[in-house]
Amino acid sequence: MVAGQDTGFTGERLLEPHLLLLLCRKADHGYELIARLARADFTDGEVDPATVYRNLRRMEREGLVGSRWEAGRSGPARRLYEVTARGRQALAAWSETINRQREKLSVFLAEFERLRPQS
Amino acid sequence: MKAILRIMHAGALRRPVGDCLEIFRRRFPGVRIDLSAAGSRECARRILTGEPFDVLLLADPAVFSEFLVPDHVGDHFVFATDQIVIGCSRYGHQYRSGRETDGQNWMDVLAAEGVSTARSDEHLDPCGYRTLMVWQLAEDFYHRPGLAAELERHCRPIYAKSIDLVGPLLEGGLDYAFIYASEARQFGLPYVVLPAMVNLGHPAHAGYYRRAAVTVTGRGLSDTTVVRGAPIEFAAGVSRRAEAPDLAEAFVDLLTGEEGQRVLEHNGLIPC
Repeated sequence: MVAGQDTGFTGERLLEPHLLLLLCRKADHGYELIARLARADFTDGEVDPATVYRNLRRMEREGLVGSRWEAGRSGPARRLYEVTARGRQALAAWSETINRQREKLSVFLAEFERLRPQS
Repeated sequence: MKAILRIMHAGALRRPVGDCLEIFRRRFPGVRIDLSAAGSRECARRILTGEPFDVLLLADPAVFSEFLVPDHVGDHFVFATDQIVIGCSRYGHQYRSGRETDGQNWMDVLAAEGVSTARSDEHLDPCGYRTLMVWQLAEDFYHRPGLAAELERHCRPIYAKSIDLVGPLLEGGLDYAFIYASEARQFGLPYVVLPAMVNLGHPAHAGYYRRAAVTVTGRGLSDTTVVRGAPIEFAAGVSRRAEAPDLAEAFVDLLTGEEGQRVLEHNGLIPC
């Protein structure tokens, strides 16, 4: 994503900034990322592993993340995802989009509060 | 002389392997492919008794570490995930009864008289021990003490590998069977999705899955080993004694690369 681009503010679309944020903190395997996403509590409901992996592959095609095999100490090698410079730019753009959305939601909630009967 | 690539694979991977080979044959037209399929633990035992292979694709990376690393295989790569589901026959109980079997009532339906349910063998096939784990987790998740033993009594016959359950489901010889979601999708079988806490498909529940444990035969037929519950993963490795190591690596690269990922997804697996 580039700054100013209309991204749509849907649940699956928001997975992109969630994944980028976690990967900025630490490069990780899809397996661990899914567990971290669940613990991060960014959204309601359960994270679907298939959706996460599909988005990671798309983000790799778009150059937002890169991947390489990392051998396990005693177990199997897993694909390790790392955020790219382009991914960091996209995350910054996402934070602006989310901020704008938060302001709009605040306006909506303020209007809603005005509708409530005065006690 | 024609080069030969010998691929041994978990039965559940028959279709995706076949689809990858179509691409591989176009890239390496002169290569003869020898394929053999079995339950993953059975594959590992065959290798220990001397059966040659170049590429090995198994339904559980733990089988590599238990049987084959480091003598037969070095690095091995996780390439896909899946979940356990209950495959349903289009001509079976669900359609005879006119009632839908779902994620809440399946344990009562499967334990009822006159309903045929099957699974694969835990000693030969990871889907077999994963089925037993699903039952143990379900017992806890649904607060149904004794459920695993009840299902064990009803679930007959036991097949060598999960893919062998698909034929009887398609033909109506079985009402239900515990199989991978990818197998159900590949063959157009209806299936019951189990909760993520139970289906061994969600890494966020890895800690909960570890509560489940199944004792299976080990490297020797008189040994036993305990397998603990874990999210389902499939892994690929190349033989240390591969006769065609370059071809073997090319096949694993194809399977784990973009083209292979498309094939896996098309076959209902989750490439990772």
